Amino acid sequence: MSTNSMSDPRRPNKVLRYKPPPSESNPALDDPTPDYMNLLGMIFSMCGLMLKLKWCAWVAVYCSFISFANSRSSEDTKQMMSSFITHNP
Amino acid sequence: MGQGHRELPERPPAERRPDQARASPEQFRPRAVTSSSQQPPPASSCPGAGRRGAQARTGRTLCAMKTLPAFCVVLLVLWSVSEAKFDDFEDEEDIVEYDDNDFAEFEDVTEDPAPESPQRVVTTEDDEDEATVELEGQSENQEGDFEDADAPEGDTENEPYDDEEFEGYEDKPDTTSSKNKDPITIVDVPAHLQNSWESYYLEILMVTGLLAYIMNYIIGKNKNSRLAQAWFNTHRELLESNFTLVGDDGTNKEATSTGKLNQENEHIYNLWCSGRVCCEGMLIQLRFLKRQDLLNVLARMMRPVSDQVQIKVTMNDEDMDTYVFAVGTRKALVRLQKEMQDLSEFCSDKPKSGAKYGLPDSLAILSEMGEVTEGMMDAKMVHFLTHYADKIESVHFSDQFSGPKIMQEEGQPLKLPETKRTLLFTFNVPGLGNTYPKDMEALLPLMNMVIYSIDKARKFRLNREGKQKADKNRARVEENFLKLTHVQRQEAAQSRREEKKRAEKERIMNEEDPEKQRRLEEAALRREQKKLEKKQMKMKQIKVKAM
Repeated sequence: MSTNSMSDPRRPNKVLRYKPPPSESNPALDDPTPDYMNLLGMIFSMCGLMLKLKWCAWVAVYCSFISFANSRSSEDTKQMMSSFITHNP
Repeated sequence: MGQGHRELPERPPAERRPDQARASPEQFRPRAVTSSSQQPPPASSCPGAGRRGAQARTGRTLCAMKTLPAFCVVLLVLWSVSEAKFDDFEDEEDIVEYDDNDFAEFEDVTEDPAPESPQRVVTTEDDEDEATVELEGQSENQEGDFEDADAPEGDTENEPYDDEEFEGYEDKPDTTSSKNKDPITIVDVPAHLQNSWESYYLEILMVTGLLAYIMNYIIGKNKNSRLAQAWFNTHRELLESNFTLVGDDGTNKEATSTGKLNQENEHIYNLWCSGRVCCEGMLIQLRFLKRQDLLNVLARMMRPVSDQVQIKVTMNDEDMDTYVFAVGTRKALVRLQKEMQDLSEFCSDKPKSGAKYGLPDSLAILSEMGEVTEGMMDAKMVHFLTHYADKIESVHFSDQFSGPKIMQEEGQPLKLPETKRTLLFTFNVPGLGNTYPKDMEALLPLMNMVIYSIDKARKFRLNREGKQKADKNRARVEENFLKLTHVQRQEAAQSRREEKKRAEKERIMNEEDPEKQRRLEEAALRREQKKLEKKQMKMKQIKVKAM
């Protein structure tokens, strides 16, 4: 019903390649959660290290976990792992 | 003095023995003495006896006969006395060290009290508790030392220590032990020194939380993946019958169908389809809920949200007429009108109810012109919209689509954003978050609607009036935009001109050859003159026209 019964709607000669959407506007529009969580994690880990507060360190661990879970896969896995490891004191 | 006293202080017996030796023959051998009063002591008598001649010879033999046993007796006596003396000394070395004078001081001092007092100290130490051993023991030792020093000086008796001496000792251990019993309390070892589970309760709690988060991450990721795969399996046939290229991530050299979804995220999956009549391509985005994030899961318990399927069809320029149209839930349309550039510019009215066309009350319409609405709402479309109203979030057709409004800090952008003819569909997956893979089958008819809409958009053409209106609208929008940005554009043009002049001047300055310099300068002057003339001409023309 969606296609013409006689002809095939497919046009192989009109194939267009997939172009990933431009990354200019996307990072601003996308969910900022991973970036916020990254920043929070860094702040809390510094606090926990300097002020010797155990709970700060644990909150930092949680923040880094949340940031990792929400991250966009466009970022390198290596970058994520390195940031994850550095945030955990 | 004599043999009766065995504990006599030690005196050099060597000196005593001659005395005793002299005395003893006088005491114990009266016969020998009385028998020969003239005779000197036997020790000295023998040599003397030898001088007196024949008489002396007989006397000598007689003397010898008598002196020999006397001598033996003396020796015996001496030996017995020395035995008695040696009983006192255990070490032979001590015998030599002492003088007569020293004996007076040490009359009563023997070794017995000395061992006794240390024994006493030791026993008191044993009685006390270990916690106070060091302090008490030290004091006891000091006391014992004092006692040792005092005893030889103070006590003049030869007897062993009385009970008087040890009165203090007996009391003190009792008092100290009683004192020790009261203050000693068993204190609990502080928590941070303990080695039990209780001291780590925070760590255990946190690690448990982390484990829960990780478990949720894995479970959520898997569920999203399963949902995406179920959707694709359901729609694969339809897509493959309509599009040549199903699934492309843009990395392959050749345009071959990958036949699978692009995983952009743990909760976002993309699919690009292309190769169909009248459209450039179709991008399908499965926007699932963030099931992998525990925080999100907890937030969704408060406020349920649905998974969404977003479809964006890019139309060819010749295959779509110029209009802007949207249908959807009232809430969604209000939001879109605020966000989207084209909807805010072309569809200024509030969303209207679609009841006139037979749509349910939940859906509303935003349209540029009434004619567009009329054209779009044909029977089939109404049928689709009515039957699947609960799953439709929004349907947006536009030839001026440029995405959401871009908020720039430096005022309006200088150029109008690029527009593309697009059809946008947003569908809600049924289940409100609690979706199962089989729910994806419910979305299949919606995909049919999409395909139908593509064809419809191609077929639908505005009549002349509609076209004129549409063109007028677009011109109006453009003019407004230009007016807003006029000042900024002027400034931009001015700055560009200034930069050109500066560049030219620099070029002239940099020219080393003086001739060339002169020539360039002349050329620049001429150009400026020409410009001035042109301006003057324009002004004259305007004046003439005005007149």
